[in-house]
Amino acid sequence: MLERKYLAEKYAQEIQAILEKYPSDRRQSAVMPLLYLAQRDKMYVSREDILEIGEILGITSTEVASLIGFYTLYYDQPKGVYRIQVCVDLPCALRGAEKFLTELCDRLGIQPGETTPDGLIAIEPVMCLAACDKAPMFQVQSGAGLTYHENQTVENALSLIEQLRRDAAGRRVAGHERGRDANG
Amino acid sequence: MTKPVTLTINGIQVEAPPGTLIVDAAKKVGFDIPVFCYHPKMEPVGMCRECLVEIGRPVIDRATGEAVLEEDGSPKIQFGSKLELACATPVSPGMVVLGKSDNAKAGRDDILEFLLTSHPLDCPICDKGGECPLQDLTMAWGPGVSRFLYEEKQHLAKRYPLGELIMLDRERCIQCGRCVRFQDIFADDRVIGFSQRGRSLEIVSYSEPGFDSYWSGNTTDICPVGALTTMDFRFGARPWELRLAASICSQCAVGCNLALNVRREVVTGGDWVVKRVMPRQNEEVNEIWICDKGRFGHHYAEQGPKRLEQPLVRKNGELQPASWDEALDLIAERFGSAGAGLFTLAGSRLANEDLFNLDQLTRRLGGKTGLYTHMGGGKLTTQVGLTPGSNFKDLGGGGENEPPDAVLVVGCDLEEEAPVWWLLLRQAAKRGAAVIALNPRATKLDRDARFSLRYPFGSAAAAVLAMTSSLSQKPHDLPESIQDLSRNPDLKAAAKAFAEARNALVIFGSEGMGLAESAALAQACANLLLTTGHTGKPNNGLLGAWPRANEQGAWELGWEADANLLEHLSQAEALYIVAADPVNDDAAFQSAFGSDKFVVVQDLYLSQTARLADVVLPVQSWIEREGSYTSGGRRVQRFYPAIQSTTAMPPKTEAPGVRRASVLTGSVPELQGPQADFAIPSLIAERLQMDGLNHSSAAAVFAQIGETVPVFAGLTYQKLAEVHEQWPIVGRADMYYGGTLYENTQGLGVQLELARTGAPAQPQPAWSQVEDFRLPKLGLMAFPVTRLYDQGSTLMHTELLHQRIGESFVVLNGFDAARLKISHGGKARITFNTSAQSVIVQVRLDAALPERVVLVPRSFGLSIDAPTPVEVRPAG
Ligand code: SF4
Ligand code: SF4
Ligand code: FES
Ligand code: FES
Repeated sequence: MLERKYLAEKYAQEIQAILEKYPSDRRQSAVMPLLYLAQRDKMYVSREDILEIGEILGITSTEVASLIGFYTLYYDQPKGVYRIQVCVDLPCALRGAEKFLTELCDRLGIQPGETTPDGLIAIEPVMCLAACDKAPMFQVQSGAGLTYHENQTVENALSLIEQLRRDAAGRRVAGHERGRDANG
Repeated sequence: MTKPVTLTINGIQVEAPPGTLIVDAAKKVGFDIPVFCYHPKMEPVGMCRECLVEIGRPVIDRATGEAVLEEDGSPKIQFGSKLELACATPVSPGMVVLGKSDNAKAGRDDILEFLLTSHPLDCPICDKGGECPLQDLTMAWGPGVSRFLYEEKQHLAKRYPLGELIMLDRERCIQCGRCVRFQDIFADDRVIGFSQRGRSLEIVSYSEPGFDSYWSGNTTDICPVGALTTMDFRFGARPWELRLAASICSQCAVGCNLALNVRREVVTGGDWVVKRVMPRQNEEVNEIWICDKGRFGHHYAEQGPKRLEQPLVRKNGELQPASWDEALDLIAERFGSAGAGLFTLAGSRLANEDLFNLDQLTRRLGGKTGLYTHMGGGKLTTQVGLTPGSNFKDLGGGGENEPPDAVLVVGCDLEEEAPVWWLLLRQAAKRGAAVIALNPRATKLDRDARFSLRYPFGSAAAAVLAMTSSLSQKPHDLPESIQDLSRNPDLKAAAKAFAEARNALVIFGSEGMGLAESAALAQACANLLLTTGHTGKPNNGLLGAWPRANEQGAWELGWEADANLLEHLSQAEALYIVAADPVNDDAAFQSAFGSDKFVVVQDLYLSQTARLADVVLPVQSWIEREGSYTSGGRRVQRFYPAIQSTTAMPPKTEAPGVRRASVLTGSVPELQGPQADFAIPSLIAERLQMDGLNHSSAAAVFAQIGETVPVFAGLTYQKLAEVHEQWPIVGRADMYYGGTLYENTQGLGVQLELARTGAPAQPQPAWSQVEDFRLPKLGLMAFPVTRLYDQGSTLMHTELLHQRIGESFVVLNGFDAARLKISHGGKARITFNTSAQSVIVQVRLDAALPERVVLVPRSFGLSIDAPTPVEVRPAG
């Protein structure tokens, strides 16, 4: 049998810790944290990860994939390293969220729902994020988790994006160096 | 019995057992409440809301607990403010259900309007058109116009293959979840699922291959719209053009009832063609389900360029076309002179009528018969097999103060060997029956088994002996190989559950076994049944998961598996080989042919064995003629002709009968084209001046069986064709929609009484027969296993399944794979030490297999009929 080991090797301890939280006959309940773990790795859950999670939990890949489809915050397609999700629901719209979204996208040269050419920043309109009184607002979803950014201006947002880009570049360099070390 | 509930549905007073759902109670008295998501075989989920009705309940005075009465003395009924679901609401006393009121109808209309906001309504090109409840309901009541915006219709993928067998049209899906629930509840293959939500909801499959399940076709039956269709039938025909022929599946021992849908086509020059194979309801055999092998595997029986069309006779060393007269004259002469030197070998895909006539001819010439099979023990199933009144549906958790039923499945990968039995056992286990899976390796049945026990390969009979022994005060001496198993407390517990069960049955298979081993296993199983008193009454006894459809019938008619086949073939003066191709299965049989032996082969195709014959006779396939099979559950069932054999003419002479008088007196057309298997031995007998063999019709032969074979006593085709109403009522063109499967109007068949052999069957003190099987100290041992999809000559005619069948392979254990450096999917050369056959095949690994074990699937191009030593070496 072909065994998939990407997650199992990279996150051995985390997976162990997650599985320990559930009784052994209810192992499939660990699917949510495992999906979260897989998504943290590359901001989406790849087909390989879906198969591996199914194997770890003894459920079918179709069952795993169904969950990704059901929950809006799991993705099975790559799209940006940072997902900036701007609320444009009615209360936020009343406080100028739509205009904010259009302007932000214009400044980045993309359309809502698209990703910047460097592949780092995706901007998408979403429904209410429960911060209606502090619009314009958005959340940034990345491997590090979710952060809320409220009472935003386009300028604020742009400087945050700059910061995110610098972070990403820093991590890439660090990653390369680790890679060199590992290769001797 | 609990007291029935009395209620009123559409003004009619109805009684129903407590817990009955309103839809079912209504159906029983003839009211159809439309459903989409509800299916009578599954628990309600209330997803579609098409079954809305008005429900009123009697008002109860809280203080007194009495019903409040109207002025006229009738109970006061309070109706709910909203419509309720008939599919999810059980009946209650005094309930008043209005299914036809304006309110209820309006509610259902609205649901239809909602459904249609996103439905493509492409009925003119939809395969379900004509048998689609959505179409029918829309026609009957649906609003003619929609209040929703046409532009906002949801558009989804129209052609989304869920693998190569099933096509999904996502736009047509109405999200009822029947398919997903079926795969979960019945098939236990959760390989299709829902993704996304709301209007974007879509069916997905992530398995490799897509929709990886032996049961996928059933979802196309129960899907209430044209969202799921089989690739086999897609755009094949409109349902109203199809005629129906009742049939029985010819692929395994379960004997599923089929409906063959046929029509005449221009491309075949106006001949009848089978367009699709559908389940036909028989609640005592297959309920309403069939496996995909049964659904797609019939193509071998169709007419095609490779089918034999006329007799062939060897002249100057070559097989050459000849007339029936020439062929039959020659056969009669040679069989006549061979007399006791005639040996008839028959395969068990033959019908009862064929086997009976072949046996008659051979016996009366003084010759011998042999059944061509790799599985033994059939005689025992005729003595301690199932009795009339047995039904898997009755198996369950027992009742009050009654222990649960038990089913032991031993040496058998049940889903591979007898698929629908597996499906029914899974349901029995859910009802509380104790399933005991006793196998040399893990099988899918383990998931539902209360006890999953393992014996070492080669020790099946010993393992059952260990069960019997654990129940005895004086334990037997057990072979060394199963010492571990016999000490396993679960074995003891399983044996106890079996012994104490209300009803108990044993299904044995041929996993890892040949003829001798499976015969020994059957004996051990019979002993267990006899010592625990589980024989001779309904739902108790021994069942064989036979490799072919009518193997049970063959045993019932006195045929026996031939343990010395090569010897018998070699010694015979004349051979009559029918529906068997030994040379293809094992080239070693070739040595039995040649010299001046006279060989007749009777088959559909020019088989490897036929190529060596002196005379080859073409036969009609099972869909071209009439006949009957006896299932592993000992139920005799009729199949009817679905298409006509192209050039078939009535046989030359007929049993005298008024209707045929003109044929007898007028000029008789010459016999032409393929004939029924039962007719040919009779035509030979006629030339030998033997009377009493019948060839005019299958019914006449069957009547003779009923007169001469004791277990068939009193049976006639009329009896086999009897039906009684079955529940649930499905398959009629109604709104209580069970699916496109067919209702059974052509016969439920009859279960045989047990063979009375004089003395009642006794447990054989045959412990010594159980050999202590040990793997050799050195080298590998190959064990034959059965796969549902194999490369057998029948299934290979179904191109649709080729990808699933795949290439030849063996399954190797992890230890030896590591030692030999062979990886999963790699190639290896496997050499059979005894036959010296040597081939390169794909290797699959199974880490759970014990060291030195190799599994070789049967009918995959490798000759294996029993455990045999092999050598495996990496190749390429
Ligand atoms: S595909 Fe058919 S059975 Fe499955 S959910 Fe859709 S409509 Fe129902
Ligand atoms: S279970 Fe057996 S009899 Fe039933 S459809 Fe499948 S192959 Fe045919
Ligand atoms: S509407 Fe935007 S956060 Fe609630
Ligand atoms: S909700 Fe009753 S049939 Fe669907």
